[in-house]
Amino acid sequence: MSATRTRHGGPVELPFQVLARQSEKMPPCQARCPNSGDIRSWLGIIAQRGRNGLSLDEAYDKAWRRLVEFNPMPATIGRICPHPCEDLCSRAEKDGAVSINAMERFLGDWGLSRALELPQRATERFPESVAVIGTGPASLSFAYQMARRGYPVTMYDKDQQPGGMLRHAIPDYRLPRTILDAEVERILALDISLHSNVEIGHDESLQALRDEHAMIFLGLGAQAPKYLGIPGEKGPGVIAGIGYLRQHKDLDEIELGAQVLVIGGGNTAIDAARSARRDGARVTLVYRRGESEMPAAQQEIDDARQEGVEFRFLSTPARIIRDRDRVRQVEIQGMRLTEPDADGRRRPEPVPGELEQLPADSVIVAVSQMPGWRAADLGLDSESWLQADDEGKLERGLFTGGDDLGPGIASRAIAQGRRAAESAHAELRGLAPAPRPRTLRITHESVRTDYYADRPRSQTPRRPEEEWLTDPAVEIDLTLSYEQASEEAARCMSCGLCFDCQQCYMYCNPGGFTRVAETRPGHYFVMALDLCEGCGKCIELCPCGYLEARDTAG
Amino acid sequence: MVEGLELLTGKAPKPHKGEAMALEDGSRIAVIGAGPAGSMFSHFFLSMAETVGLSVNVDIFEPRRFCHRGPAGCNHCGGIVSESLVQRLATEGLSLPDCVVQRGIESYTLHTDVGDVEIATPLQEKRIAAIYRGNGPRSSEPVDTQSFDGYLLDLARNRGARVIPRLVTDVRRNEDLMTVHCADQFSDSYELVVVATGINSRLMEMLENETAEFARPARTKTFICEFHLGRDVIRETFGPSMHVFLLDIPRLEFAALIPKGDYVTLCLLGDDIDENLIDTFFSSPEVRDRFPGGVIPGHVCHCYPRINIRAATPVYGDRLVLIGDSGTTRLFKDGIGAAYRTSKAAAKTAVFHGVSAEDFKNYYAPLCRRIDNDNRVGKLVFTFASLVQKSRFARRGILNMAANEQQQVDGPRRMSGVLWDLFSGSASYTDVFLRTLHPAYVGTLLWNLVAANLPRGAGRIGRDAERGDDHVRH
Amino acid sequence: MAGLGKEYKAGEVIFRQGDTGNCMFVIQNGEVEAIAESDGREFRLRRMGPNDFFGEMALFEEETRTATIRTTKPTRILSIDKKNFLGGIHEDPSLAFRIVQTMSHRIRDLTDRLARYEQQQ
Ligand SMILES: Cc1cc2nc3c(=O)[nH]c(=O)nc-3n(C[C@H](O)[C@H](O)[C@H](O)COP(=O)(O)OP(=O)(O)OC[C@H]3O[C@@H](n4cnc5c(N)ncnc54)[C@H](O)[C@@H]3O)c2cc1C
Ligand code: SF4
Ligand code: SF4
Ligand code: SF4
Repeated sequence: MSATRTRHGGPVELPFQVLARQSEKMPPCQARCPNSGDIRSWLGIIAQRGRNGLSLDEAYDKAWRRLVEFNPMPATIGRICPHPCEDLCSRAEKDGAVSINAMERFLGDWGLSRALELPQRATERFPESVAVIGTGPASLSFAYQMARRGYPVTMYDKDQQPGGMLRHAIPDYRLPRTILDAEVERILALDISLHSNVEIGHDESLQALRDEHAMIFLGLGAQAPKYLGIPGEKGPGVIAGIGYLRQHKDLDEIELGAQVLVIGGGNTAIDAARSARRDGARVTLVYRRGESEMPAAQQEIDDARQEGVEFRFLSTPARIIRDRDRVRQVEIQGMRLTEPDADGRRRPEPVPGELEQLPADSVIVAVSQMPGWRAADLGLDSESWLQADDEGKLERGLFTGGDDLGPGIASRAIAQGRRAAESAHAELRGLAPAPRPRTLRITHESVRTDYYADRPRSQTPRRPEEEWLTDPAVEIDLTLSYEQASEEAARCMSCGLCFDCQQCYMYCNPGGFTRVAETRPGHYFVMALDLCEGCGKCIELCPCGYLEARDTAG
Repeated sequence: MVEGLELLTGKAPKPHKGEAMALEDGSRIAVIGAGPAGSMFSHFFLSMAETVGLSVNVDIFEPRRFCHRGPAGCNHCGGIVSESLVQRLATEGLSLPDCVVQRGIESYTLHTDVGDVEIATPLQEKRIAAIYRGNGPRSSEPVDTQSFDGYLLDLARNRGARVIPRLVTDVRRNEDLMTVHCADQFSDSYELVVVATGINSRLMEMLENETAEFARPARTKTFICEFHLGRDVIRETFGPSMHVFLLDIPRLEFAALIPKGDYVTLCLLGDDIDENLIDTFFSSPEVRDRFPGGVIPGHVCHCYPRINIRAATPVYGDRLVLIGDSGTTRLFKDGIGAAYRTSKAAAKTAVFHGVSAEDFKNYYAPLCRRIDNDNRVGKLVFTFASLVQKSRFARRGILNMAANEQQQVDGPRRMSGVLWDLFSGSASYTDVFLRTLHPAYVGTLLWNLVAANLPRGAGRIGRDAERGDDHVRH
Repeated sequence: MAGLGKEYKAGEVIFRQGDTGNCMFVIQNGEVEAIAESDGREFRLRRMGPNDFFGEMALFEEETRTATIRTTKPTRILSIDKKNFLGGIHEDPSLAFRIVQTMSHRIRDLTDRLARYEQQQ
C-alpha cells in the first residue's frame, strides 16, 4: 500500500477499495471440453427454467437446440465421449462432477424422441458448392455447419455407410446403430447429398473434386492399424483391433478360438477385449505398463473386469508361436517402469530373463492407428499426418479436421470440423476470420462451492450385469430419467456466470443491483457503478465468481 | 380489530371459537436470518418450549457463512457486546467463550481537542466484549477465533434448530399458514414466521413494496473499517480500552476505535456518514495521534452498513413477528442487546401465549414500545451531546469533571457514570437522562465548567500519551 | 487479552464468609471452591467450574456472604451487579429461571447432606 498525502496534509495510506464488476468467465468444463461445448449454458436453461418462464419440456427443447449449435450428434457423443470436461468440473471435489456426459446423452435422446430439427443459421442460400471427403464425425460436423449456413454440400465416402469409426469401430453395447443412424440421417436431411463407395484418390481424383467444388474438406481419419513388429505377427490368427471390431460389428463369422490375447491399453483394446467376450472367448488383455497408466477410462476397465476380461500388466508380447498355421502361444516379456524421467514419465523397460509363454488361440493387436490413405494418392505433400493451421486450413479452398491430423477423440473431431467450417465460410464470403472468443477462464478458488447446497450426483441407470453378455447389441448404460435430468442440471454451479442466486441484490448496502425486466441465464441484474461503495462484499458473496473486482489502478 | 401485518397480507382466517392460534407439538417455525436476533430467538424458544414439553421444529434460513472472512461472512457492526448484555448472557448460562471474545474491554478513553480522559469500570474488570460478527476482516490470518454470530447460531443448532442455507426472497400468507420462498425456488409453509433479517438486506424493502400498511425501519449510513496494527502495537497503544472521540464534525454522532486481536475497528455513526466526513475525521489530530507515528494506515476491510433510526411498523401480524433490527432496536447503541431482548420476548410470547397478532400485541409490542420511547429520549441526549461537541467550553467542563472523578478513589462518579452508560449502552437513555437532571450533577458540572475554563486551567485533566502523567493539554 | 471478567491466581479468595456484597459471580474459566468456616475449621461445600455462579443470594437480599469462595487454579470470573440484574428481571423475570433452578438444587443438596449428617450422629 502506498503512502500519499491527503489534502489536509497528514499522511494517510490509500485505503482498500474494491469496486465490483460483472464479468462472464469461461467455466472449467468448457475449457476442458475438446469441442468447447457451452455446457453451462444448456444446463442453465434447464436449471433456471422456472425463473425464465419455461416448462421442463420447453427447457429441454431449448437446451437441446443450444447443445446442437456445437455438436449435431449429442445422443452419440453423450454415449461415447470419455468426458474430460467432468474431470475439471468445479463440483468434482464437493459431491461429484456434474454428469455432463449423461446429460448430453439425455438431451440427445430427447431430441430424437421429439424429432427436433437441427437449427438453421440462415435462410440465405449460397451458390458455392462444398465437398466433404469422409463421413466420420469431423466430416459430419463440417457438413452440418456449412449446410446450416446455406451451402450445398456433397459428401463422399469409400464405405457403403456413413459414420466412419463411429460406425465401424465402436461396439453396439456402447453405441447402438439406431442412435447413430438417426443422428446421421438428421444431418443429411439438411440437404446434403451422400456419394457412397467412392474413394477419392482412387475412384476419383482430389483435383477433379476441386475443379467441381468451391470448397473441400478432408476428413480422412486414421483407419490403418499399427502392428508390433514382433516375430510371428504376420499370419493367420493375428488380427488388428479395428479390423476385428469392424468384423464383429458387421456380424462376420470370426474364428477366434477359446483363448484370445488382446494387446494394448487404450479404448480400442478394451472395446476389442469386451467384444471378444461377447464372441464367447476367454480374454486376457496384455499391457506393457500398469493399470493406472492405462489410457482407457477407468469405468471401461472396471466393466471389462466385471465381464471377465483378465489383465496382464507390465507385460509385452515378444513372439507369437504357431503350430503349423494355428497360433498356440505368445511369449510374454515381463516389464518394469523406469524411474520418472525429466518429464516425470515412467517408461516401461524389459526385465531381463522374465519370459513366459501364454496359451492363445488368437491375438488381437490394438496398439494404435495410422493414416489409411496415402497423401501422394491425393496429390498432397505429407509424410504421414496432415499439417494444417489452427483453423484446419491446408490451403485456400482446402480444409481438414479429425484423426487425419493425428489420433484424437470424436469430440475433438467435431470441434475441428466446426472450426474449419467457420473459417471456410469466412473465406468464401470474404469475411474477417471470426475472432476466437477469448473469455477469461474462471479459477477454482473463485467458485465458492460451500455456497451450494449438497446434491449428490445422480446415478446413471445401467442394465443388470447378468444381461450384459447376453446379446452383443445390448446397451449397458441407460439414459437418465426425465426427472433425473432436471435434478442433475440443477447441480451445475454455473461457474463464472450469474445464475440468479440474488445474494448481491439482497446484500449490497447501497442497493446497487437492479433486476432486469427480461431475464435469461447470465442476465438477471444490472449493477450501478456510481452507487458502489467499494466494500467488495458482493464479489466475495457471488458463489459462481461472476462478480469480480474492477481494476482500479490508474 | 387488531392492527398488525395483515399481509403479506390479509389476516389469517379466524381460528374456531375457543381455539387459540397457538403452536402445538409438530408445529413449524421459520426464522429468517441468523443474526443475533434469529439465533437467540431459536435458542430461547427451543429451551423454553422444552421446559413446557412442547416439541416444535425450528428452521433457520441463513445463506451467510460466518466462517468466511471479510464482509461476506459478517453482519457488520462495531462488535461491542455491552456490559449489560454480557452480564445477562452470563446469567442465562451463556458465557462468551474466549475464542469469541477478541478482546475484553475494561475502560473507555475519551478523546477531545482539550484533552483525554480514561473512564474505567468501577471493578477494574473486563465486562465488555469486543467481538467479530463474522470471521474477522478480509485477508486476516486464520487464528483460533470464532464469529460471534456463528457462536450464537451454533447454540441454536445445538438446541435442535435446523439451519437451511438459503436466501429468502418472499414471505406470503397462504390460507392459514405462512409460506417462505427462496431464491433457488424452494418454498415451504410454517405456522409462524420470525423475520430477523436485520436491515442490511433487501428483504424488508421487498416486503414493504408488497404491503401497503407496512413501513420498514428507517435507516442511515454508517462506516466501519479495520486497521491491521498487530497484537503488540495494539496492546501498547490502545490497551483494553475503547477509544471514543468527541470532535466537532457535523453529522458525526459517535466515533470509536475498538481494539481487537490484531486489528482495530473504527466505527463512525451519525447522519449519513460519507467519504468527506471520513476524510475530515481522519485528518483531525486527535485521531491521527492514536496511531503509531501519527500515520493512519490503509484499512484492510470496510463497509458502510446501515443502522436503524426508526422502528418498523407494525412489528407483528398473525403468525408473523419482526425481531431485532428488522423490528426495533436501540438508537446507535447495544443493538445486539436489543436483539436479545426482542428475540426473547417474541419467543416467550410464542411459547406461553400464542402466535396471533393479538398475542404479539399484548406480550411483545410493549417491549418494542419501551425501546422506541427510550430512543426518543436518546435523540435528546445525542442532541445535547452534539451541543457539547460544538462547544470547547463545555468539552473542558465535562472532561474536567470526569478526570477529577477518576482520580478519586471513592466518591460519586456522576459524570463518569453518565459517560460510561452513554458510550457503552449499558443503561437506557432515559436512565442516563434522568441522572443528568440530578441537582448534584448539575451543580458539579457548573463548577467544573468554571474551573476548567479559568485561564491557565485550574483543573488538571487528561493523560498525556508521552509523559504518562495527568495534565491539561491546551 | 481475550476473555472477560477479572483474573485470579490459584488460592485467591473472592470473598469471605461474613463479608457484605451486592453482586453475583459467574466463572468464565478455571475453578473455585465454596468453603464454610466454623470454629476455625473449614468445610468444603462444593467445587464450581465454567458457567457456574455463586454469590447469588446477594442479588435478592442485602446480607452477608454465607460461605467463603476461593480459587483452586487460575480462574477468570465475571461479576453481575445487582442493579443490572434487577433491571433485567424487571423486564424479563425468566432471566432468574436458571438461578432459581440452581438454588433449589443447592438447597436439595444441602438438605440431603444434613439428613445424612444427622443419620451419622
Ligand atoms: C456501524 C454499526 C456499528 C454497530 N455497532 C454495534 C456494537 O458495537 N454493538 C452492538 O451491540 N450493536 C452494534 N450495532 C447494531 C447491531 O449490528 C445490530 O443491532 C444487530 O446486528 C441486529 O441483529 P439482527 O439479528 O436483528 O440482524 P443482523 O445482525 O443484521 O442479521 C440478519 C441476518 O439475516 C440474514 N438475512 C438477511 N436477509 C435474508 C434473507 N433474505 N434470507 C435469509 N437470511 C437473510 C443475514 O444474512 C444476517 O445473517 C452496530 C450497527 C452498525 C451499523
Ligand atoms: S459446475 Fe457446471 S459450469 Fe461448473 S464446471 Fe461443472 S458443469 Fe461446468
Ligand atoms: S456490495 Fe454493493 S457497495 Fe459493496 S462492492 Fe458490491 S456493488 Fe459495491
Ligand atoms: S451473487 Fe448471485 S445473483 Fe449476484 S451476480 Fe453472482 S450469481 Fe448472480
